[in-house]
Amino acid sequence: MTTATPEPPAAAGPRTRGARTRGPRPAPARAAEPRPGPRAAGQQRRQARTAAAFIAPFAVLFAGMYLAPIGYTVYQSLFRVHHSGLGLSAPTTVFAGLSNYGTALDDPAFRGSLLRVLLIGIVQVPVMLVLALVLALLLDARTTLFKRFFRLAFFLPYALPGVIGAIMWSYLVAPGLSPITAAAHHLGLQLNLTSNALLAPTIGNMLTWGWTGYNMLIIYSALQAIPAELSEAAKMDGCSPLRIAWHIKIPMVRPALVLTTVFSVIGTAQLYNEPAILHNVAPNLSSDYTPIFAAYDQINADNFNAAAAESVILAVLAFALSFGFLKFMQRRGEAL
Amino acid sequence: MRVRSVRTAAVLAAAAMTAAVAGCSSSSSSSPAASGPVKLAFWGWAPGYAQSVALWNKSHPDIQVSFDTTASGSKGGYTKMLTAVKAGNAPCLAQVGYETLPSFAAAGALQDVTRYASADKSQFAGWTWNQVTIDGQTYGAPVDTAPMALLYRKDLFTKYGITTPPTTWAQYAADAAKVHKADPSVYLGDFGNDAYNYAGLAWQAGAQWFGTSGNQWQVSMDSAANQKVASFWQGLESKGLLKNDPSYDPSLYSDMAKGTILSDVNAVWDTPVLASSVKSTSGDWAVAPMPVWNAADPQYGNDGGSATTVLKGCKDAQQATEFAMWMSTNAASLSNLIKVTGIYPAATSGLTNPALSAPDPFYGGQTIFDVFKSEMPDINTGWQWGPTMTQTSTDLGDGLGSVETGNAQLPGVLSTVQTKTVSELKQQGLSVSGG
Repeated sequence: MTTATPEPPAAAGPRTRGARTRGPRPAPARAAEPRPGPRAAGQQRRQARTAAAFIAPFAVLFAGMYLAPIGYTVYQSLFRVHHSGLGLSAPTTVFAGLSNYGTALDDPAFRGSLLRVLLIGIVQVPVMLVLALVLALLLDARTTLFKRFFRLAFFLPYALPGVIGAIMWSYLVAPGLSPITAAAHHLGLQLNLTSNALLAPTIGNMLTWGWTGYNMLIIYSALQAIPAELSEAAKMDGCSPLRIAWHIKIPMVRPALVLTTVFSVIGTAQLYNEPAILHNVAPNLSSDYTPIFAAYDQINADNFNAAAAESVILAVLAFALSFGFLKFMQRRGEAL
Repeated sequence: MRVRSVRTAAVLAAAAMTAAVAGCSSSSSSSPAASGPVKLAFWGWAPGYAQSVALWNKSHPDIQVSFDTTASGSKGGYTKMLTAVKAGNAPCLAQVGYETLPSFAAAGALQDVTRYASADKSQFAGWTWNQVTIDGQTYGAPVDTAPMALLYRKDLFTKYGITTPPTTWAQYAADAAKVHKADPSVYLGDFGNDAYNYAGLAWQAGAQWFGTSGNQWQVSMDSAANQKVASFWQGLESKGLLKNDPSYDPSLYSDMAKGTILSDVNAVWDTPVLASSVKSTSGDWAVAPMPVWNAADPQYGNDGGSATTVLKGCKDAQQATEFAMWMSTNAASLSNLIKVTGIYPAATSGLTNPALSAPDPFYGGQTIFDVFKSEMPDINTGWQWGPTMTQTSTDLGDGLGSVETGNAQLPGVLSTVQTKTVSELKQQGLSVSGG
């Protein structure tokens, strides 16, 4: 559940790259020290202590709030409770090896939830990122009017707390309340946006509405970092704005696109807010709709070990997908 | 999308904080050796419990109970309790519904207090004592039972020409059609997604869900009796004769206040809930016995009823049991619980409590408990709950939600829940027949 380590993508981000060349270089300075005399050694020790003091709060929190829960989750996932008779007395906990993982992967409900978020991700993430890229390019184009207004307008949905956005959308799609359904009805269409078939598109729409502006802003700031000379040179050579976008701008913001994709993959794997809110107006949305729902279901049923296994599976899959994508893109980037 | 993961982390952190705070409050409950009073923590959600606790604290300076309001059981309260037990910092006392008690026992979350409790057995209706006693071990005190009735808009029934509230389900169906025909925006009742309300309807029809034979569970949610109940409600649903607001949802109460939903079949404890949810219609409501299948041999349903249980790890189990018994039997406490919580007492002495004969202004001055009292002899007391009720009720709630949105048919839903329940029992390593 907590694989949201943005470190690898951040390293690929344009801002970090700039910092790496411009930032202070402590390592060469130390290497330049000719002989580590007693005084220099003391200074080094002091420096190390200072560094440790600065790192300690992070290290403690990281270990306590991040590594320890992950370790505990993995540990929990290796056990199961054993009942005897009618199972109405206290159970015993026994070592189960990897059997919880087998059971989870064998459970059609859990597999279904994984497949569901995968499908939502496959459709929604590209739609959202293409939209974000197009909006960013439009904002970046010289001829666009009211840039500031549009930048703010596109970004605004993200500024709204996600849950509030989800509540707003749930009223916009709720049967009996939805103005969209009412409008469709006027046109002679029977449209129920919370029917089983349309639940996933409705959730995808909520996600796209909420997150396009955020991704647009990341891509837009990458576009801003492209030196103006490049576009100018291309223009002198007779390149149209469309071709400038395609041949210069998009390749230059590739790291930003990779970054936003990775974030989006992780975010989709952790899908929770939108369906949880939507459930209030769509009681047909099952309580194991997404993997996090499914794991929480197991906790409710006092099946902590199964919940731990499902969490680990989700985390591993999200990690494999996002990190795999990152590595794949990096390798391709080197080949280019 | 990183923010989303941050939010998840925040939720987890908040949960951890809750557990930590809970740890503080209950850790103080484990020091009977000290000269100060014994301190007991009590988790529950029913309105009115806090007042009974206050009454106890006033008269028992040596045993001080602090009541913490949790989310209602199925909305996270039970999860919180089970998690606290697992973490070893649970409160001594917890409100647990009869339907969930076997699941708590199966989780090893309850403390056997038979030796402190058995002397009080004779104070309670026999079957309610059986609800808190599993395999000969008593885990707390029964508080109430929850007979169901028809809560209806008297004024609007008259307006739509229903002179007497329906006494059988056949009449109910006819009245539903009549009302909806008179005004297509008006419905006699609502088909919600509350699994336990539906369980009460099955209970009434003698359509058992769980049974045991030897050391084996039997699951019968798919039985002929259950299919009969399911077909009846699916029939009303398919004809569009019922409104489909989720149970206990603001939309339901909004429709009731507007007069587009005229009645609800619900438990005795729902009478104050309804009264506080649709205040604007006070005085227009009345209570009648719930419709029955066979007028010659009426049988009624039960939806809920809960116990004050002692949770595993309680160091002052004797004092905790003493409090639990007091809360369920003391006349002042019962008066309060009848008035505020809307309980129908499990204690036999409670049945003569004057609060039961008080007229209720919301229900037009009717003495509503008379209705519930009249149903009591005809409520099947042999109903049994299984050890997987959290999973079963979640799956049934999902299914009912799909039925009310037209995405599934009720008889099929029961078959699905039957299958899932059997596989859950098997997964827990229990032997089961009826798969």
